[in-house]
Amino acid sequence: MKRTKKTRHIQLMLITAALASCHQPNKEWQNGNRTYVRSDSTAPYSRAYYPHPGSLLLWYYAFRPYGNYYNGYYRRAGYYSDAIRPSSNIGSNGFKSSVVRGGFGRGGFSVSS
Amino acid sequence: MQRIITSPRNNWQKAVENLGFGFHTTNVPYWDESAYYQFGMDEVLFIEKATAELWDLCLGAVQHVMDNDLYGKFGIPQEFIPYIERTWTEDHPAIYGRFDLCYKNGQLKLLEFNADTPTSLYEAGIIQWFWLQDFDKGKDQFNSIHEKLIGYWKYLKNYLYPGMLHFTCLKGTLEDLTNTEYMRDCAIQGGLETKLIFTDDIGWDSDSLTFVDMEDQPIKNIFKLYPWEWMLSDEFGKQILEDRNKAFWVEPAWKMLLSNKAILPVLWELYPECPYLLPAYFEEGKLTDYVKKPLLSREGANIVLMQNHSLLQQTTGDYGKEGYIFQELFALPEFGGNFPVIGSWVIGQEPAGMGIREANGLITENTSRFVPHLIG
Repeated sequence: MKRTKKTRHIQLMLITAALASCHQPNKEWQNGNRTYVRSDSTAPYSRAYYPHPGSLLLWYYAFRPYGNYYNGYYRRAGYYSDAIRPSSNIGSNGFKSSVVRGGFGRGGFSVSS
Repeated sequence: MQRIITSPRNNWQKAVENLGFGFHTTNVPYWDESAYYQFGMDEVLFIEKATAELWDLCLGAVQHVMDNDLYGKFGIPQEFIPYIERTWTEDHPAIYGRFDLCYKNGQLKLLEFNADTPTSLYEAGIIQWFWLQDFDKGKDQFNSIHEKLIGYWKYLKNYLYPGMLHFTCLKGTLEDLTNTEYMRDCAIQGGLETKLIFTDDIGWDSDSLTFVDMEDQPIKNIFKLYPWEWMLSDEFGKQILEDRNKAFWVEPAWKMLLSNKAILPVLWELYPECPYLLPAYFEEGKLTDYVKKPLLSREGANIVLMQNHSLLQQTTGDYGKEGYIFQELFALPEFGGNFPVIGSWVIGQEPAGMGIREANGLITENTSRFVPHLIG
């Protein structure tokens, strides 16, 4: 077979499904700027306010949760948008008294290089 | 190297969006398939050879910085030096980097090395590959990025701690998320168990002195699309030194030497005979035509181009307080008002492909366009 410089076959397992929907408008999410979100079973209700989306693309998935499959069950880990306040954007584990979050990520808006 | 104007695919936006590429257009077009670059195989082999050589030289330069304690030139805080050296001597896992090269009149010159958080990986590895499938699938492309990423994750699996490999990037940036999720996709295909956590959500457990994810599970291996210099200045930066798990951060901390522009004068001092390097210095005044670059600038910010000691072009931004280097001016070639820079990827220890970004001027900024290529 002729040797080439390009990958012969490409299959994507995760990214297409994970990202293709990120920029799809959803009317339900566009209505109004104020959203009340409960981020997980242990967090108190909190109000998230998202008046100035940095990117229109991101607006559409501002409050879409992300998570992982574990033993066949989907477990929510957080929300895509930083519009959700860090105090409410926490995990589902109740033993979190010694855990502090938000110590990384102050550096910038994107790493583009 | 030729620039060839062509017709974009009908409904190309839909085609790239189906691949999960959501940032093809922002305020200005980013993905641009109204043209492509055609290279001869001899040119590709030349770029490939240069990339391999530059990678070797870079590894030598890292050792030189450590042996001669040149950290002060890089503006790296003293307290992190033992940690940086540990990641080097213990050979912590590293996976990729992107050399930015200027190719003109048969000469190839290194402009900088994005060794820590290179982006445009997805465009180079996936989007332009699928473009070529539609355009002319019989043609070749310098692009084995995808298979090399999968292969190298498979290889690295034995060098990581057993268990989960976390992936992290900032919230609120689709570009970073796309690059990170693509990398995670490749790791999954390499047989690794993975989990996404946004950088902003990483937790520090002050009881166990470990980093934890959203479910308070320990983070032991983590791929980050977040620069080391930002990590070190963040509140959690010092916790890296206290981490009882001694987590593997990919890319490892020694890569911050290579992603810092201070490596350019070091390389030149060590290897002045190398045909791919431009004269570069820490001091101004040694060059007549030169580029003044902040040590840590990104996306072409705060760059000053001087010709015969007169200002030729400059950009603004927030960088420069950390210091500058001065590199001989080797202007990008012009193709009808378009100025391409070649991003040549190293994955594992090998050249893996390239992506081309075009600007409207001599400085490649965040408004540049990604243009596909093929081998003619």
